[in-house]
Parts: sequence; C-alpha cells; structure tokens
Amino acid sequence: MSEPLLQVQDLVKEFPGRRSLLDWLRRRPARPVRALDGVSFQLRAGEVIALVGESGCGKTTTGNLLMGLLPPSGGRVVLDGQEVGRLSRRGLQRLRRSAQMVFQDPYESLNPRMTVGDIVAEPLQVHGVGGSRAGVRERVEAALTSAGMTPVSAYLKRYPYELSGGQRQRVVIAAALALEPALLIADEPVSMLDVSIRAEILNLLGALAKQRGIAVVMITHDLSTVAAYADRIAVMYLGRIVEHGPTRQVLANPRHPYAQALLSVVPIPDPAARRRPVILGGETPDPSRIPSGCRFHPRCPLAFDRCPIVDPPLFPVGPDHQAACLLVENG
Amino acid sequence: MSGRGGYLLRKIGWALVTVLVVVTFNFLLFRVLPGDPAKSGMRDPRLNPAAVETLRARFGLDKEVFLDLESGGNPFDTQFTAYLGALSRGDLGTSYAFRDQEVSTLIGQALVNTLWLVLPSQFLAILLGAGLGLFAAWRRGRPLDLAALTFSLFMWSLPTFFLGIILLVAGANWFGLPTSGRITIGNDFASFWDLAWDVGRHLLLPTLTLTLVLLGEYMLIMRSSVLDVFGEDYILTARAKGLSTYRIIRHHALRNAMLPMVTLIALNLGFTVSGAIQVEAVYSWPGLGALTVNAVADRDYPVLQGAFLLIAVAVVIANLAAELIYGWLDPRVSEG
Amino acid sequence: MTALIEVTAPPALEPSRRTWRRFLQHRMGLVGAAMLLVALVVAVFAPLIAPYDPYESVRVNILDIYQKPSAAHLLGTDDGGKDVLSSLIYGARVSLVVGFAAAAIALVIGGLIGIVAGYRGGWVGSLLMRITDFFLVIPDLALQIVLVAIIGPSLGTIIVVIGALGWTTTARLVRSQTLTVRERKYVMRARAIGAGDAHILRRHILPAVLPLMLANMVLVISLAILSESTLAFLGLGDPTVISWGQMLNFAFGRGAVSAGAWWALLPPGFAIVWVVLGTTLLGTALEDALNPRLKRHHLEAPGGDVARDRPVLDIPPPALDVAAPILRVRELAVEFDSPDGPLRAVDGISFDLRRGETLGLVGESGCGKTTTVLGILRLLPPGGRIVGGQVWFDGEDLLSLDGRDLRAFRWTRLSLVFQGAMNAMNPVRTIGDQIAEAIRLHAPDTSKAEANRRAGELLERVGIGRRRANEYPHTYSGGMRQRAMIALALACEPDVIIADEPTTALDVMIQAQILELLGGIARDFGMGIILVTHDLGVVAQVCDRVVVMYGGGLAEENEAAPLFATPQHPYTQQLLLSFPDLAHPDRPLRGIPGSPPRLDAMPPGCRFAPRCPYVFDRCHVERPPEYPTAVGGRATCFLLDPDEETRR
Repeated sequence: MSEPLLQVQDLVKEFPGRRSLLDWLRRRPARPVRALDGVSFQLRAGEVIALVGESGCGKTTTGNLLMGLLPPSGGRVVLDGQEVGRLSRRGLQRLRRSAQMVFQDPYESLNPRMTVGDIVAEPLQVHGVGGSRAGVRERVEAALTSAGMTPVSAYLKRYPYELSGGQRQRVVIAAALALEPALLIADEPVSMLDVSIRAEILNLLGALAKQRGIAVVMITHDLSTVAAYADRIAVMYLGRIVEHGPTRQVLANPRHPYAQALLSVVPIPDPAARRRPVILGGETPDPSRIPSGCRFHPRCPLAFDRCPIVDPPLFPVGPDHQAACLLVENG
Repeated sequence: MSGRGGYLLRKIGWALVTVLVVVTFNFLLFRVLPGDPAKSGMRDPRLNPAAVETLRARFGLDKEVFLDLESGGNPFDTQFTAYLGALSRGDLGTSYAFRDQEVSTLIGQALVNTLWLVLPSQFLAILLGAGLGLFAAWRRGRPLDLAALTFSLFMWSLPTFFLGIILLVAGANWFGLPTSGRITIGNDFASFWDLAWDVGRHLLLPTLTLTLVLLGEYMLIMRSSVLDVFGEDYILTARAKGLSTYRIIRHHALRNAMLPMVTLIALNLGFTVSGAIQVEAVYSWPGLGALTVNAVADRDYPVLQGAFLLIAVAVVIANLAAELIYGWLDPRVSEG
Repeated sequence: MTALIEVTAPPALEPSRRTWRRFLQHRMGLVGAAMLLVALVVAVFAPLIAPYDPYESVRVNILDIYQKPSAAHLLGTDDGGKDVLSSLIYGARVSLVVGFAAAAIALVIGGLIGIVAGYRGGWVGSLLMRITDFFLVIPDLALQIVLVAIIGPSLGTIIVVIGALGWTTTARLVRSQTLTVRERKYVMRARAIGAGDAHILRRHILPAVLPLMLANMVLVISLAILSESTLAFLGLGDPTVISWGQMLNFAFGRGAVSAGAWWALLPPGFAIVWVVLGTTLLGTALEDALNPRLKRHHLEAPGGDVARDRPVLDIPPPALDVAAPILRVRELAVEFDSPDGPLRAVDGISFDLRRGETLGLVGESGCGKTTTVLGILRLLPPGGRIVGGQVWFDGEDLLSLDGRDLRAFRWTRLSLVFQGAMNAMNPVRTIGDQIAEAIRLHAPDTSKAEANRRAGELLERVGIGRRRANEYPHTYSGGMRQRAMIALALACEPDVIIADEPTTALDVMIQAQILELLGGIARDFGMGIILVTHDLGVVAQVCDRVVVMYGGGLAEENEAAPLFATPQHPYTQQLLLSFPDLAHPDRPLRGIPGSPPRLDAMPPGCRFAPRCPYVFDRCHVERPPEYPTAVGGRATCFLLDPDEETRR
C-alpha cells in the first residue's frame, strides 16, 4: 500500500471575531469564528474524496488550507511529504506545482481579456516551466486535450465570452492540469452549470483521477452525484467531519444522524420513491457559537442526555467507515 | 469595532483627527510665510542684535517649533503649543491690513455673512435638485430628463464666477439690482424692515448664482441614485404587490435613494465652499470667501490663516454631521 | 430575480472592440472629442491664427481701451487696448497646458495611491484611504488659494498645486477598480497557481485599471482647467501669461461691466465653457463605454407590456365553473428588444393550472420558464412585450387588465415568491412593515394595528417568530428571508402563488424545510402553486403535474407520475437520464451533448433537433405541434405523430 499523498491531521482554522461597542464597553472579548475544528483525512494518488456539507461546514476553508492559501491555526496538512503551512514563500511556490485548484464560477474564473491559450499557459509562465515557446505550446495543447477541448487549434485563440459554461470550466481544468499536479482540489466545480452539462465535467474529473493518478478533493454540497466519481466521502458539519467512509457504504448505510437526515431530504427525481424525510429544524449554528458537547445535539432528532456533555470522536462503524456519534460508540 | 455605537465613535474619532491635522497643517504652512513683521524686522540691518532678540522673544519666535528637549524647562513650551493655546482662547492674532482688528472678530462677522448666503442656497439647491433629479430619473430618456441633463452639464462646465458675472450684468441692467456689497452705503434705514429689504436685494443675485451652480450637481447625484434604486429587486417586489408607480417611488425608492445622496452631498461640501468663495468675490459679498481673497491681495496672513482654518474645520464638521445622519438613516450600518 | 433572463445574445465582439463600438455610439462623446480637438488646434497654431501677438508690448492710447468689435479687432479691445481675439487664442495654450500637466500629476499620484491601497488592503490601504478622505474633505479651492498665495503665483506652482490636490477622485476610482479586480475569481485562481504580486498586477490588474484611469484623466483635465481659471480670476494667476481667467480678472476688475464691454467678458468665459464642456463630454463618454451601467429598471415600461397588435386567438373564454382550471395560458408568446432586433424568448406555450394544484414548470437556462411567469404576472422588464396568446385567470382576461384594475388584481389573486436574495425586500424598512403595506394596500380600511397583527401572524405561520417583524432584512438568514417572502406572498390570501426558483440558492436541508412549508400552505389554504425550477428532484417531490419547457416552448406536459415513469419527449427522457438519482448511485452520469439554443440562434424546426438522438429529416424543417400521448398529457415531437409511424 503506497504512502498517502495527502495527509490532513487535526486541522484547525480560526478567524478573529468582531466586537461591537457594547462588547467593548463591557469588556467582552470578541468571539473567534472556528471555521475548522479538527479535520483529519488521508488521500492516495488516484483517489477521489468528496467533502460534503452545507454552508458553514468548513469545506471551502479546508480547500483553501490544502492549497496553502491560508495558514492553519492548528494541525497540519502534509502533501507529498512536505508540510504545507510551514513552507517558506519559495516552498509555497513549488507547492503550487503539485496542487492546483478548480473554482466554482466558470464565468468569473477566466480573465475576459485573455485568450484560452494565454490562460492555460499562464501557470507555466509563472513557474518558468516549458522552456521555449514551443515547449510551452506543447504543454498547453496537452493540457487542453486532457480536458477534452479538441481540436485544440480551434480553441487556442478564442476568448472566454465565446465559450459555453461547460467549455469554460474545461479551460479552467486545463489550466490546472498544465503543471501536471499531483493533487487537484475542485470547489463546487459544477454548481453553476446546467444539470445536463454537469455530467461531462464530473466524469472528466473522475477520469483524470483514474487514468492519471491525480488525487482529487471534491468539495460539493450535491450528494446525488458523489457516487459517480468519489471513492470516499466525508460529511462535514460545523467544522468537523461527522462521518467518513467509502461512498457506497456511507450512502447505503449512514450512521451519523446528520448524514442520515441529509440523505433523506436530497430530492430524488422519482415521485414513486418511498422515503421518510427527516427534516431538521432550525439552521446550522454560527461557527462562533459552537454548541457544547456534540455540536449537532441541538438539532439532532436522536439526542439523549450525554450528547450536550460529551464531544464524540470518530468511532469505527465498518471497514474504513467512521461516524462521530455516541449512538455508535460501540460499533 | 462593529455595531452602531462603533460607527459613531469611529466617525467622531476621525473627525477629531482630521481637525488636528488641519490645525497642525495650518500652523506649519504659515511658518514659511514671508512678511512676518518680526522676521522682516529681524532682517533690517539697522537693528542691533539685542533689539532683534527682544523682537523674537516678543513674538515667541525664540522657542522651539514642536518639542523642546534641550533647554531645562517644560518640553512643551514651544511655538506649537503656544499656537494651540492661543487657538483654544479664540485668539487668532491681529490683522495686518486692519491694524486694530482682531482676526477672530473679522472672521466672525464674515462667517455670519457667509452663512446668510450659503445656508439658503444649499437648502434650496438640495430641495430643488432632489426634486428635479427624481423627476428626471422617473422620466428617464424623455424630454424632461434630457433637458435636466443638459442643464446640469452646462452648469458644470460654466465656472461659477462667470455665471456670477453674467447674472450680475443681467440683474443690474434689467432689474436694477445692486451689484456689490451687503448694503447700500450711505443710506439711512428708517426701520429694520428697510434694512432687511436692502440686504435682501443685495443677497438675491449671489444666492441665485450659488443655488443654480449647486442645483446642477445635486440633480445629477439624485438622478443617478434613483436610477440605481430602480434596478433593485425590491422594486420588482413592490410592483408585483400592486403598488402604483407613485407609491413605489414615495415609499421605497425615495428613502433608499436619499442614502447615497447624503454621502455624496457630504463629499461635495468642498464644492459648496468653492462656489461660495467665487460668488462672494464677484458680488463683493462680505463673507469668508471675500475676506480670504482680499487677504491674499493684501498679504494679510493672519486673516488668511484664520479664515482657512475656519473654513476647513466647518467643512469637517458638516461632513461629520452628514455621516452621522447617514448612520441614523441606514439600518445596515454596523461594520467597520 | 437578479439572475433574470439573459436577454441579449452574448456579445459577438471581443471586449476592447465592444468598448470602441459603445464609445462610437455615444454621439455626445464624439462631439466632445471634436470640441477638444478644435481647442487643441487653436492652441497649437496660435501664432498662425491670431491677428496680433498679445505678448508684444505696444504703446497704448486711452482711446484704444474697450473698443467695440470692428474689422481691425474682431472682438474689440480689452482694458489695456490689446486685441481680445488674439488674447483669447493665446489663452487656449495656458488653459490646455495647465489642464494636461496638472491632470498628469494627479493621475500619477492618484493612480499609485489607488493601486497600492486597492491591492494591498490591510492597514496600508486603510491609511492611504484615510489620507485620501482627508484631502477630499478639505475644500480644495480654499487650500489652492492658500498654497498659491504663499508660494507665489507662477505657472509651475499653479500646475503643481492643482495636480497635488486633484488626485483624490482618481485615487478613489482606481482603488475601487483595483479592489474589484483583485476579488475576481480569475485573480484568485492566478494566486492559487502561484503567481506573485508583480505578475498579477501586470497581467490582470493594470490592463483592467489603465483604461479607466485614462478616461478619468480626461475628466480631471476639465477640473484642472476650471481650477486654473478660477485661481486666475481671483488674482492668483501667473501675471506673466495670458489665460482666460486672467482676462476675466482684468476685465471684471477694471470696469468692463460699467463700460458695457461685453466683448471683454463673454468670449473668455465661453471659451472656458467650450473646453470644459468638450472634455467633460469626452470623459463621460469614455467612462460610460468602459463601465457601461447595465442596470435595468423594474418599473412599468411607459409603452405597456402587451403589444396592441397581437393576433387574437380564436378561442372561446373558458367556462366559469368550480371544476375549471383557475389559470389558463394559451399560446403565450413574449419578445424582447435587443440591439439586433426583437428576440422571441417564449414562442407559444399553453397550459392550465387547476385549483389547489401544484404545477412544476421545468427547464434549463434560457428555456423561457421565468419569462413565461413574468408575462403571466404582467411584470416583464422594459423591452419585454407579450406579442401573442391569451391568459385567463378565473375567467378574467389577464392581458386586457390595465392600470388600476391590474394593480387591484395583483397580490390578491396571484402573488409571487422569488429567490430571497438580500434585496428582494427593501433593506431600509422592517419586514413587518412591508407585509403590512401589502395588506393595507388592498384592504385600505384595515387599521395599522390590525395590519401589523396580521403580519405577525403570517410570520408565525412561516416559522419566523412574530417578534422578528420589527427587524430589517439584513438581520435575517437566507432561509429566513425566503420564509419572509412566502409570508409576504400570503398577505392577501391569493388563489395562486408563483414560486420562481425559491430554493435554488439554499442548502438542501433548508430547501426541504421551505418545500415542506409550501406544501403545507398549499394544503391548508387550498392554494394553487406554480413552481418554476430546474431541479427535477424537487418537482418529483412536490408537484402534481409538470410542464417541461425547452427553447421557449413546450416539450412535454403530464401528471408527475407518468411523466417520470414514461417520458414521451426525447428531451424529457434525456433530461431525466442526466439527472442524478441518489436512489441509484451506481448509474453513470450522463449529460445531453451540446447546449440549449441561444435566443438569437434558434434552430428552424424542432428546437431540440440538434441534440436529439432520434432526430430525422422532418425535425429540422418543421416545428412539431402538440400531440396527445398515450400516457395522458401532451408532447411536441413528431415521433408521436400517428402518420409518422406509418410513414416510417
């Protein structure tokens, strides 16, 4: 078994809070916002993990920390043996070659004044890769081909406004592939695309993982598509992973009440489907006011007396499958 | 610091800092002045060194400028603190041109006259400008709007003093209005109303000029504010509810359009001052502007210094007032 | 609703060409450019144009002063006996030189400060903005007067002083633009790639900021010229050069008014107006071209939204019995104005809504579903027009309602819920106030207290406590804002609510809550609901019947169960196949090749033909009409044509 390419250990990220005048007069300290409160997982080359959750769960912050865009407040991210976050400026530069990011908004991710060729060449130019003009051009064409934008010559001189949403996202992916990274982080790559176009992008990302051994972290809120490309899924809530395991298993047999509730309300395009939705009341609490004990307990339909007191770690519930709930403490 | 209380403190704090910077700047600026009697006296070769020293001491020029760390006494016994001290007592020095007049008296009188000019003009300009701007936005693209835009553009391109000259010539030739000063000199005023009438006749053209100039600007600001509001989602909601266009404007658009208007009026206070200075110059209206311009011609530096300080501080205060009004009007204000 | 239909076709030219085209269309800008050009020519060729040299000292005779215009002196003479026209011509040089030089200084200072403040942010940025604000607050003319008075009025001083005080607007503009670009996703992507500040500034920020700076510079020139002439008029001009302000200073101060010498006063003044007007027109046009304000407005269009010449359909009005559908839409067609002519966003859609029924209106972007409901609600934006069809609501012809009748109809019979984005409700009025407004508008006898009480009740009903009625929209979370919109929509107890993508931007759990709420309300109040969405999962969950739209028309319509079980139209089939299904996670994801047709490039014949797996020749040529299907419902596909079967 090869060494995991990416290791995330007890990652914590806090943002400073704000104080109102009243707070200051009363000498109340500003409450920090704990966007991430101890996240751990591993990823091997060629594996795809989906970080799933609703807004405020910390999945986007995780992506930013993996890229080194923000320093962690605690814990570590180790990529290819190097600790991201302890890296110097130069080290971070080199990191960029191993880890690349695909953002959510294909309409905003491309500079409208640059051609497709320029956009895909930019990472090469920034890192001085490719040597000559011809070398750069070769790599650009290779990246575009990998992203499915063929014939390449038809696209090199086009501007973003001439492309559809799906095509733009492919350009973003091509730009990410130009440096042949080992890790790709995709933050909601298809949420702004029409449903009928999402498949091609998601399938592309899945194929890149399988065929080229790129490790992919997929950040998404869409549970209905994860099974198609993700090997593993991690369900996040308020800065923690509450359930973690192979995709099929977690979808078929979720053990954490939040995961269960979430899966029960995802709309299914079949009016005949029999389901009992568990609709949670209220909304996700503010990350500056994380509940005591199990952070899910105020909304949990199965909470009992120990829940507000004990903060459960991840308990094993199956092969490689864990859930952070006192109800499954004993498996 | 966030929250409405924080907003208040922040704005007041910055206003205080600005005033302090203005005062210091004013102090420094006039240190480089030529024409200071003590200094010119000191350059006179006929004076013996002892006399020069006495002169220097008398004008406090023998002290350090900012901080005195060398002599054994109070480190704050400097020119700057002397200046601050004098300021706090309201002592702005004595005029060079009017040898027996205190600067504070002069600018005090001038301030009152300027207020007589600026306040009505500002008020009228805001009222008319907001009204016209609203109408122009409502009837966007139609003749009224185009006329209003053309008018504004023209007013913008016309220097205020030139407009003043034109109106002065027209007013004097066609309406026999007086062309300078505040009152007709040499007249005996039988009653208060006679005096008021006379002052009013003198005030008419300057006010008209200043109002017209400001009107163009405010109309543009209001129009653009209102047009921005018309594109907001809640206007669609209001229309979907069944509100008539009049009601939509009155209960939704107006309040929201006033917010940026307040901010922009605050930013344009400098424009008001500039306009007032020019109008007073053309009509010889004895306000702060005229005082400033005349002080330049007379090299009357204490008056110039005092007038500039007063003008700058007045604008800072007016700006602060506008920001506080904004804070009161907009419930979203809270973040830094 | 901020994601309203993309009415205009995506631009057919690259960005910089588009900008030029916009500029050229701005006639006023061209006029301004011409005016400025004239002034430049006059200034440059002054020695050739002017009849006399005003800098030459001549012996002057008292009779020469304030001479009226004559053949020898086209604009008469001034207080010194000099030719006014020549002074006027040479004066152009000073104004333009000061204008350009001072503006250049202001541009450099303002540009630097703006870029650093916008790019760096943090305390450096804050400090720079404070400094900018300081200079903005201090009245510039007063400061200019003081500085020039102290330093001495030479041309150089004046240029430096005006420039050193005139950078504030440029700085603000540059900072705001830099900030905008810095926050753009493509800059974040560049940073994620590993680009350093230099690269980002060079390739992303500067190309975006520079054009705006140059446009702004033109406006700063106009300000500089105004400043110079004002200073000169007030006696602070350089006495060794002739400028227009100087001319006015002398004329005004030396009795031109009493001498009636209008020729000494008017020309220099109007010359200033000419140049300032020209630069302002040019500068405004440039700024508009670079940053076009694409804001649409949501008020009623002056011309009305229903075309008068629309074809009258030969359909009898529906019967008014209880079992009849409450809403009937027949052949509705909507067009939008665009620079390339009218575009048809909806091209003949028909459907019914029965009382108490929940109807799903489904389709992808550009299919026309939002336009359809906006048309029904008579809320089309300006430029939109209903050009065909008929809409009956409870027997009433909705398209012939106008003015007061339409307003009375609104909200009481048919209301709207759209995405509860931040500004769907007025941010400066309380939620309760806005709900009460709707109540009192349609029941004017209701007292304020009563209306507020009702508003509180409605908020309770949707799950927001009545105590929160006095709060402002910005204190509500996204889910709560959506609930508030629903409470508002219920205010006048309508028969039908149209919900346009009400849950699209919300988390899946909140979406479930909102859908449950809507379902409950439909049950309790017997309300009909039209749910506009792209999410087939949502439709399957809550809708009784479904209308699938594609390319501005109907693809298929049926009750939910048969539609999902046996879809008849190839698009419906493909759409269902491409919709991820959590109940069958092993199914590979598939999409539909190609993309939905653009409004300005509609295929002739069947709209779906280019992407249809079963397409044959007829599909490219003719548009299929509606055919009834074997499972109830109808679909627009030639495959359902009974004759077609026999033909093939």
